[in-house]
Amino acid sequence: MNGALHRLVQVPPGVQCFVGEEARQRRRIEEIVLSVFEGWDYEEIIPPLFDYADVFSSPDLLSRTYSFVGRDGSLLALRPDFTSLLAKIAAGRLAPREPPIRLYYSGEVLRYEPPKAGRQSELHQMGLEHLGGIPPAADAEILAVAGECLERVGATGWVLALGHVGVFHGLVRQAGLDPARVEALRERVEAKDPAGAAAALDGGGTSGEIRDALVGLASLAGRRSVLDEARRLMKACPEAAGAVEDLRSVVDALAEAGLSDHVAIDLGEVRGLDYYTGLVFRAYAAGLGFEVGAGGRYDGLLARFGRPMPAVGFMLGLDRVALLLERQSAVPAPAALDVEAVGGDSLGAALAEARRRRAAGARIRFGKATR
Amino acid sequence: MSLTVALSKGRLLAGAERLFSVASLPFPDEPGRRLVVPMDGLRFLFVKDMDVPTYVEYGVADVGIAGRDTLLETGADVYEPLDLGFGRCRLVVARPRGTASAPAASRRVATKYPRVAGLHFRERGVSVEIVRLAGSVELAPGLGLADCIVDVVETGRTLEENGLEIVDEVASSSARLIVNRASYHARRDEVARLIDRLRGGAARAARAEAAS
Repeated sequence: MNGALHRLVQVPPGVQCFVGEEARQRRRIEEIVLSVFEGWDYEEIIPPLFDYADVFSSPDLLSRTYSFVGRDGSLLALRPDFTSLLAKIAAGRLAPREPPIRLYYSGEVLRYEPPKAGRQSELHQMGLEHLGGIPPAADAEILAVAGECLERVGATGWVLALGHVGVFHGLVRQAGLDPARVEALRERVEAKDPAGAAAALDGGGTSGEIRDALVGLASLAGRRSVLDEARRLMKACPEAAGAVEDLRSVVDALAEAGLSDHVAIDLGEVRGLDYYTGLVFRAYAAGLGFEVGAGGRYDGLLARFGRPMPAVGFMLGLDRVALLLERQSAVPAPAALDVEAVGGDSLGAALAEARRRRAAGARIRFGKATR
Repeated sequence: MSLTVALSKGRLLAGAERLFSVASLPFPDEPGRRLVVPMDGLRFLFVKDMDVPTYVEYGVADVGIAGRDTLLETGADVYEPLDLGFGRCRLVVARPRGTASAPAASRRVATKYPRVAGLHFRERGVSVEIVRLAGSVELAPGLGLADCIVDVVETGRTLEENGLEIVDEVASSSARLIVNRASYHARRDEVARLIDRLRGGAARAARAEAAS
């Protein structure tokens, strides 16, 4: 193939194209998930594909947005996530609406990421935001919705790993650590490396119970009993202890609702600390090496748009759900409609026949009869 | 389904074998050319040492044994619950003995660890050109390919034999047990059992070493 043509048919890294059965498969998953959102009385919102860049200016996303200058000179960005857009709309157009406001979305976001471990530049997210709801009720609700989505699409062996950023925040605040040390510690806690976490604290003047608790976070993951251990470890820090109890009431509610096998505790889940304010969680399932979805509480976000309100939400990655179901051989069955070829002596007769069969609900292929 | 363990055939193989034996866990005697070896409820993958973090990050293997040096270089998003204590080495900057310090801006660095080396110099505000090599890095300065190298050293003998001296330490490394994030939660019981066995094994091996 000559050079120019060759380049024209290439696909840039990070974007994808789905054809036929692949596309159908994704659409089926999307329909199932959205029907669950509707079933819990969330309302769909279709936000714009791009908006003013400063709407998305969370530090985590800033370096990863595709931004451009609009015709009027304003700086615009392709949406790198839905949450900021929904917060903005809740504070703007939906300002007269009384909370709680339950909203869901489904669509592509674009962010610059080196394609790696299930990450793409263009990803389809299906998610919801529960705005104005407080813990534990709203937290338990969105976790139950997330669980039902995974159940309904046919995934097995899935687990919601729950943490609470208040535990880490409280300990770090009480220890009075400087930002560089907090970051080094956070990174080691996230890696579940207790020895590394201890090393990150060396020479920082943290000792005794607070030090033990910070190092302990790296291994506080597992069954519900982890919360008892956490309660003991956090005694010296009221803020962290309070966060553990907040989490416990959510976990207890989920257990009572029959979800204990699908709940894991992970107090070492300490990503996105500048954004989340309470519950954080990731959904994992056997067969896929990375999370299928994630979420948490971000009570500070709506204040940025002038309507302070607690908020909690989550999203599932459509690509990841599709990949998971493929790995688990749990792909939803396609609609069982055979294709009927429709033809006729004249174009008009054929078209009339096609319309008659379509009215009867048949799946047809228009053209010469091939019988 | 059994857990899959990713191991490298390189530097860390002997230590891994000793650890599994002390922990009374199965280990293939002579993997030979086989790259996938099922054995007594575990499945072993033998891959290149720099690839172990990748297999675990993507969940192809549930757990693996990888050097901290390879984790730093790959930046793999995996859990690292155990320092296994063997395979200790240092990542260092080395240059020909007796060179006066070269003008920082013109420094050329040969390494198998381009990410780690790049970050190390960037953090110090030094602009360097990274020359990526697959091996025999210590030859590069003598042959005029680079001004200095970033490489792992255990005893420092290879550096010495090639007329190099250590001028800076980038990081210290040892073998780590790494675990895939999803396996850690979704296959909690099996993974926790394996971590506990290996933790006990690593502690016993360390005691035995201290006693000998």
